[in-house]
Amino acid sequence: MSGPPELPVTPQKRLPMGAYFDGDSPVPRDATLRVDRGAGVLEITTPDFMPSGLRWPLGEIRLLDDIAGKEGAILRWTGDPLARLHLSQRELLRDMPHLKRRTAPKGRGRLAAWAFAAVAAVAVQIGVLVPLLADRLATFVPPAGERALGEATFEQIRQALAGTGLPPLPTCEGEDGVAALEQMLVALGVERGGDQAVQVFVLDHEMVNAFALPGGYVVFFRGMIDAAESPNEIAAVLAHEVGHVENRDPTRHALRSAGSIGILGLLFGDFAGGAAVLFLTEQLISARYSQGAESGADEYAYSVLEEADISPAALGDIFERLRDKYGDAEGVVAHFVSHPTLGSRITAARDAAREGADYGDILSDEDWTALQAICD
Amino acid sequence: MPPQGFDVWFVGNRSALFWLALKSGFWTVLTLGFYRFWMKTRLRRWYWSSIRPGGHPLEYVGDPLEKLLGFFIAVVILTFYIGIVNLLLMFVSFSVFESSFLGYFASFLGVIPVWFYAQYRARRYVLGRTRWRGVRFGLEPGAWGYAWRALVHWIITLCTAGILWPRMTFYLEKYKTDRTFFGSAKLVQGGRWQMLIPAAMPFAASALSLGVLGVWIVWLDPLIPQSAASFEDILGGIDNLADLGQSPLQWEAAWRLWLLIPALMLLIYGAVHYRFVTKRILANHKQAHGVQLRSKLNGLRISMIYVLGTTIAYLILAVGLLGIIGVAVGLLGPEAFLEEQMGIVDPLGDLPRWLSFAIIAALYLSVFLFWSVLHHAFVTYPLMRHMALTLSLLNVAGLAQVSQRARDEFAEAEGFAEALDLGAAI
Repeated sequence: MSGPPELPVTPQKRLPMGAYFDGDSPVPRDATLRVDRGAGVLEITTPDFMPSGLRWPLGEIRLLDDIAGKEGAILRWTGDPLARLHLSQRELLRDMPHLKRRTAPKGRGRLAAWAFAAVAAVAVQIGVLVPLLADRLATFVPPAGERALGEATFEQIRQALAGTGLPPLPTCEGEDGVAALEQMLVALGVERGGDQAVQVFVLDHEMVNAFALPGGYVVFFRGMIDAAESPNEIAAVLAHEVGHVENRDPTRHALRSAGSIGILGLLFGDFAGGAAVLFLTEQLISARYSQGAESGADEYAYSVLEEADISPAALGDIFERLRDKYGDAEGVVAHFVSHPTLGSRITAARDAAREGADYGDILSDEDWTALQAICD
Repeated sequence: MPPQGFDVWFVGNRSALFWLALKSGFWTVLTLGFYRFWMKTRLRRWYWSSIRPGGHPLEYVGDPLEKLLGFFIAVVILTFYIGIVNLLLMFVSFSVFESSFLGYFASFLGVIPVWFYAQYRARRYVLGRTRWRGVRFGLEPGAWGYAWRALVHWIITLCTAGILWPRMTFYLEKYKTDRTFFGSAKLVQGGRWQMLIPAAMPFAASALSLGVLGVWIVWLDPLIPQSAASFEDILGGIDNLADLGQSPLQWEAAWRLWLLIPALMLLIYGAVHYRFVTKRILANHKQAHGVQLRSKLNGLRISMIYVLGTTIAYLILAVGLLGIIGVAVGLLGPEAFLEEQMGIVDPLGDLPRWLSFAIIAALYLSVFLFWSVLHHAFVTYPLMRHMALTLSLLNVAGLAQVSQRARDEFAEAEGFAEALDLGAAI
């Protein structure tokens, strides 16, 4: 590949030459250059253009940055933002002391104001507007819509648990176990039958977790049932999740993330964006429900348990058991345990139980054994 | 001034670009992406200064801070649009259609006009910050005009199964070119849209051959003769194939499947050929003040650069991603991804896990950094070089009548394009 044509050189004068652009016309003017160190100026003589010539103070000459190619240089003078001087050689540069000095950026206040506005807009949006709107709208989503959404999400979760290419993780269908769960729901006074009834599923997986999905889906992992020491604890968790369903927390949450994730995607460009979006989204989602929603579901559980003659303390028991057993372990336990209010939730659950009262059990020993064997 | 013409030179070598991209990309990763405004500016300065019509480089005078400001402005405006609109669409989608797919689809459709708008604004910004021989380029305002025209052209193109695509290419380019200035000189896009039809021929031919192949394999002489067999049977057959290593299905002349490979390669060639050869044809019909562009761009050469360069960049990306997944599974265990999807992981719950995330995030960013550096070195650079070296200016006498134009001040720079990830290569 050949380089650019050499700029004309006039050997008899032996003065460096350059091409001067006045910043008005795209016509190069042959310029003779001379550094006057005494006066501290660069004299630019363009005989056929401006007979008087130009004088650029050496300290105010800047070099254009990030220019490809090693030869030549392009200079500008801070006093004339448009004029350019193209040099074919770089020797002259030695006499110019501040070639790389930057001008202070203009409009920093304005930049800061908009930066603040952007941060505030995102914060208001994610922290206030989207949740507010999601909470309002969640109550208007018709049950059929909620159910379809929950079904799709449940399907996705089962598929993800099984891994790609395999059939979705099966739900546990042990007949006696299912009957025991049904018995539990009836005992808790949860509405049965009809399109909007709560549906409980057990997934054959060792994760210690239970969650609610839109449309009345409550899902237990086998690990949760294994971790419980009495059916009352499972009933307490079930009552808590039914509380989320009653309060429509899963639907709110789904709407909320639909609004928030798009905004987070905006903030990060295509380059470094992916990881940050992933991380933030994950953060956003992992703080699933607000503390208000959690204590709302707890309150609901207390009253349902009380009605069913089960001690609300069972909820505190299972929380505590999980915390003691798994400590700072993994997954849902870590989530519960790291929750700052867990301690107070345990206390609250115990306080909700009537002092010295004699509560019953939700299942017989036989039914409890059946429930524990639901996945076998 | 020589009356005849200028060649366009291209100086600057690949290794210099590689290091500039690597260095600025590194800072971008370190600053969680905020340096990208500086990275973009520096890379543009470098590319622009490489392109030298008549020996004088183009100059890019865009400022990173104005890009940052523009980005903030776009975020303020778009957060409300995207957040609220997405939420409402999702609500309607759940309530009325009982699925979330429609909501996503609608929110995608809703962004399309903004996307065209942003594209035009970004072009206006870049042209407004480009100078040659001290004189500014410029693009007249007209982004919404562009957006609705682009929408209508796309609808027409889709309705005619792509036959009128050259017409869209021509009129959208004409809209932009006829609003482009070099100093006081207004560019004019001449020619007619039909002149782009030949450029579409390789693509049309490859699409046609793919269609013929499809008809042959599926209907005329079916690959699997018992076409009455249900889909489950075929799946079962594939299962058997995997388990027993034998095919119970009677594949009829399976060698024909190999024909798909050249047909698909031809399709890629056709697409790249169209994209760049139309640029050549359009360039040859642009002029301002009698100054004309002459491009001798070689479609085959461009396709080779494009395919080889992209292959290199993606190959390295794929290798890197596999490495990351390996490290991630090793650090977090295979269940982590699921837990993450379900939102039951608390990465701040304990430090080692948090640290694992940091390591994975750093790896992820580095792979993308490296991919973008390779893309610059092996795709953008050779493409630009070829386009520059095959371009020349004719009848440049008209340049003498050109004078400077006023600075195009606009606050949001290319913020919308940036926020919407209109991933222009540079």
